Amino acid sequence: MGTSRGTSIAGLGMTELGRVYGRSPRRLAADAVRLAAADAGLALGDLDGLLVSHGMGGSPGIELAGTLGLRDLRLLSQVNAFGATAGAMVSYAASAVLSGTATTVACVFADAPLKPKQSAGSAYNRDAREWYGFGGMTAALGLRSVNSYYALAAQRHMARYGTTSEQLGAIAVATREWASRNPLAQMRDPITLADHQNSRWVSEPLHLLDCCLVSNGAIAVIVTSDDRARDLARPPVHLWGWGQGHPGHRKERGSEFGLTTGAASSGATAMKMAGITPSDVDVCELYDCYTYTVLVSLEDYGFCAKGEGGAFAASGALGPGGSLPTNTGGGQLSAYYMWGMTPLSEAVIQARGDGGERQAPSSDVILVSGNGGILDHHSTLIVSPHRKGA
Amino acid sequence: MEIGVLRRDGRTDPFFDGTASDRLVIKRCEACDRWFAPDAAGCPECGEEDLGWAQASGAATLVTWTVLPKDPPAFLALVELAEGPWLHARLDGAARADLREGLPLGVAFEHPDEGESYILFRPWTE
Ligand SMILES: [Zn+2]
Repeated sequence: MGTSRGTSIAGLGMTELGRVYGRSPRRLAADAVRLAAADAGLALGDLDGLLVSHGMGGSPGIELAGTLGLRDLRLLSQVNAFGATAGAMVSYAASAVLSGTATTVACVFADAPLKPKQSAGSAYNRDAREWYGFGGMTAALGLRSVNSYYALAAQRHMARYGTTSEQLGAIAVATREWASRNPLAQMRDPITLADHQNSRWVSEPLHLLDCCLVSNGAIAVIVTSDDRARDLARPPVHLWGWGQGHPGHRKERGSEFGLTTGAASSGATAMKMAGITPSDVDVCELYDCYTYTVLVSLEDYGFCAKGEGGAFAASGALGPGGSLPTNTGGGQLSAYYMWGMTPLSEAVIQARGDGGERQAPSSDVILVSGNGGILDHHSTLIVSPHRKGA
Repeated sequence: MEIGVLRRDGRTDPFFDGTASDRLVIKRCEACDRWFAPDAAGCPECGEEDLGWAQASGAATLVTWTVLPKDPPAFLALVELAEGPWLHARLDGAARADLREGLPLGVAFEHPDEGESYILFRPWTE
């Protein structure tokens, strides 16, 4: 073998996350890129690629390059696969590095949907006196929130496979237990299954504690070659594999909506590239907009059989001391809601061994997921502190 | 819960012409013999963007549901029309104990004092 041809995440930058006011998404994004470059031991001028994630609350586009004063870039794009974007950006960055298109690519997500004195829920809700057209009729009659669309998906899984609210609650409890050990987490007070069951209904079968937080902030990572990463400030987090899955479930007879997701094909692609099977995975960092999303992703990735995600979660596998530590930072349910950058940032922290009280006992192979739309889009990354095949 | 007032948007007017006279009118691609929701942007089979409109039977089955914590609770659902398309819909006259995959439903039309007429789905009883 000659020079190894692998890619790594060499830098991680995270702004303050949560109720962070007074900084625009563009400013937050610029701050995160600066922090990520500094983390890697790079100057901003060392970057020759920038990928910017689509967001909700006025997230920046490619003009961010100008904001940062970046010059002579060889790769610059805005990427949009909704919650699957972080994984997609990293895979495009890695592909660009492998092809020689660019050498050092920053990937950034920023959003600021929260406004002072506004409830978290209202940032993503719709309300109106007058409604227009067929879609307006649907909203007028009550389907106004993403929560309800995910509730429809979760309910279908429950009706088909016998999944229970208590099983979803086991995911909320395990995730909060991890969050209680993470100083970056917004919600750190431990919760019980009873707390989950007693939390108010958002949209049955989803309780409040089945739903993610809403956060302002930004996170960036730097992707470069293994060879370059080795000489930088932090230990490389090697990218072993990646994949996407966009099932295109139609809303018509025969649809698998709510039952299977793009995790199935996305995971198979990524694991094949990485040369692993689910049994090789030490830690999962899964996109948890809802507890249900974790449950169905675990099934589709093959960590348990279809329909057995509820029993798997209730077995205690996901929490501290479990057989498959999952969302070790507290995820989007309890730590911070930065779309796909939430699971990715925690994967980098775990791969580096920087998890402190929440460090998983083994973190040689970490699976990272992204999920976007109403289960329309999925991305997977497999990362490791070791070179692939080493 | 407060519904507000429904207005036409110029793209789904035949649907509201239908609801005004107690008919469920949805989109249809004659070339492909396929039915679509009233807001379908086109036929993914043949690419036709200018879909026709046709009257559906109004018979449906329940795919999945969610309940909003309102007073009284709002029962929302995905329903499968007999013709195949799924609609996001609101259920009327349903009790939690009734709810199951495949529950037979029939369309019902509501005519508010102000704004367009709209549809609900009720458990089907012969
Ligand atoms: Zn057609």
